[in-house]
Order: sequence, then C-alpha cells, then structure tokens
Amino acid sequence: MSAPQAVDPRGPRFAAIVTTVVLVIVLATGWWPLLAAQTVVFAIGAFVGLRPAPYSVLYRLLIAPRLQPTDEREDVAPLRFAQAVGFAFALVGTIGYASGVIVVGLVATALALFAALLNAVFGFCLGCEMYLLLQRISPRAGSTS
Amino acid sequence: MTGLIVAGVTLVAAVIVGLALRSRNGRIRMSAPPSEPDAAAGPGSSAAIPASGDGDRGSGDGTPAQAGLPADVRDALAGEAADVTLVQLSTTFCAPCRQARALLTHVAEGTEGLRHVDLDITDRPGIARDLGVLRTPTTIAYTRSGGELLRVSGVPDRETLLAALEPRLPADGRSAADRSDVGHPTE
Repeated sequence: MSAPQAVDPRGPRFAAIVTTVVLVIVLATGWWPLLAAQTVVFAIGAFVGLRPAPYSVLYRLLIAPRLQPTDEREDVAPLRFAQAVGFAFALVGTIGYASGVIVVGLVATALALFAALLNAVFGFCLGCEMYLLLQRISPRAGSTS
Repeated sequence: MTGLIVAGVTLVAAVIVGLALRSRNGRIRMSAPPSEPDAAAGPGSSAAIPASGDGDRGSGDGTPAQAGLPADVRDALAGEAADVTLVQLSTTFCAPCRQARALLTHVAEGTEGLRHVDLDITDRPGIARDLGVLRTPTTIAYTRSGGELLRVSGVPDRETLLAALEPRLPADGRSAADRSDVGHPTE
C-alpha cells in the first residue's frame, strides 16, 4: 500500500454490490439485526477508514487476488462521505424496525438501497452528488458570494 | 411481503434513474443568448459596450455580463484573458470531479484560446446557489466578457465539448478547416 489516500476503485464497487444484496435481504425479510450489522459496516467505513471496513477486507481477501492489479486509484474522501450518508439512512432504518415503526424502517432502507444500487450498477455516487444539495438545505449556507 | 414489493420498486426506480443520469452525463446545454452580449454585437466589440442602465447589478466591475457573476467566478475570469474560460465547479466529495479536472486540464493545454479553472466550492455553496448549479462537476464556459456559452454536467466528452466551443475559439487553435468568424454558433 503506497498511497494511503487512494484505493482500487473496484473495491468500493464490490462493497456497493454486497451492500445492495444485504439491503434487499433486509427489505424482503424485515430482519433488522442484519440492517444493524450493515449500519456498523457503514460506520466503520465512514468514521474509521475504508481499509478496515469489512467489505474492503473481503474484497482484498477474496476478489483482488483473482483480478489483474490496476493503477487506477480513487480518492477516499468522496467514498467516506458516501459511507456516512449510508450510515445515516441505515441507522434511521434500524431504529424504525427495532422500535416497531416499520414504515420508517422500510423507507430508510429503500433509500439506502437506491443509493447502493446506483453505485453498484452505474458507478454513480449519489451521496457525493448530493453534497451540494445537502449543504443548500442546511441553514448555515448563507455566506455572501 | 410489503418489504419485497418495496425492494422491487426501489430496484426498478434506481435502474431508471441510473439510466437517465448516465444519458445526461456530459451532455452540453447551450445557454440562452441574452446572457451572452457579444452574440449580437459580434466578436471584439462586446467589451466596448458601456454599462448603460439596462438593469445591470453593480457597476464598474468588469463588463455588464460579469457584474452578475459571483465574485469568485469573476476573479477566475479576470486572470490571463482567454477566448473561452471553462469554470469547473467541484467539491472534495466528488469522484467524477477529478476525472473532469484531468480531462479539462488536458483539453485546455492542447487548445489555443481555451483556459480551465477549477473552483472548489465545498465551503462556498453560495456560488452554486447563485449559478443555479445542483450537482458537481458542472462546467460552465464563459466568453472573455463573462457571457455564458454553455454548461456541462458530469464528466464532459472531449470531442463534443470542443465541437460546441469551436466557433468561439481561434481558428488556428485546432487543426480545424472551417474558420467561422461570423460569431454565431452553429446549431
């Protein structure tokens, strides 16, 4: 690992695919402990780092040895921001399911699934793109231009 | 059961949105002519138009077209003059912004009369609001006088972008044969 600030872009893509599958299972079964586990996975990626994130470890152990190495690198900051967005939705979803407000659980999980699938299939990072919108909504965005 | 339906609907919705976003990526939107004073006046004469009272906001600061722009964009245009300046709006949390930056830097280096400026607006969302930009990267092409030519959201396509800007660039900038010094862009 020569460049700690960048990662093989296929790793996050793989993680998004796993996330998509996990979230579909959560929606189909309503088994919220799985969503809680996914929330922890998001939290590690967002607040600890991408390298120790479980799906990244899985990628390095199982997938990366079978692929050609690549020089392509992707910056970490957007990815971690996206993990934080995923964490927020998964947390709300977990609380919704666990407290019996199933609608909240369904909606929050569906939104997380929506973002994960866009990333997995199209390589499109919704959380990253939403950054401007999120800032616009937050009230402290009133600086003079 | 409900969960399964929600999952299915979400998957379909995500695929539709994904396809729509993919088709929009790099698409060029030509800006409305009124924001571009030298379209009517012809090249060279635009800077000479006095800032008479036709509703200009703020005076004395560059041309009338520039007066309506956020200060950071005006500063970006105020540097070394180029026929066309590509102002790219980026944020730190934006992976395609890096691709767009690499591509546009390369294109600008190889094209005479074309300049590229990357504005990081992570901490300056006011610029995005003023310019009506919702996603990054968005690249806006400005004339020397600050008139807006076109916008590209997402990572631009090199050839499409150059073709759209061609009427605005010096004819010897590229090995283009058709010199169009009339000034109105070809549709």
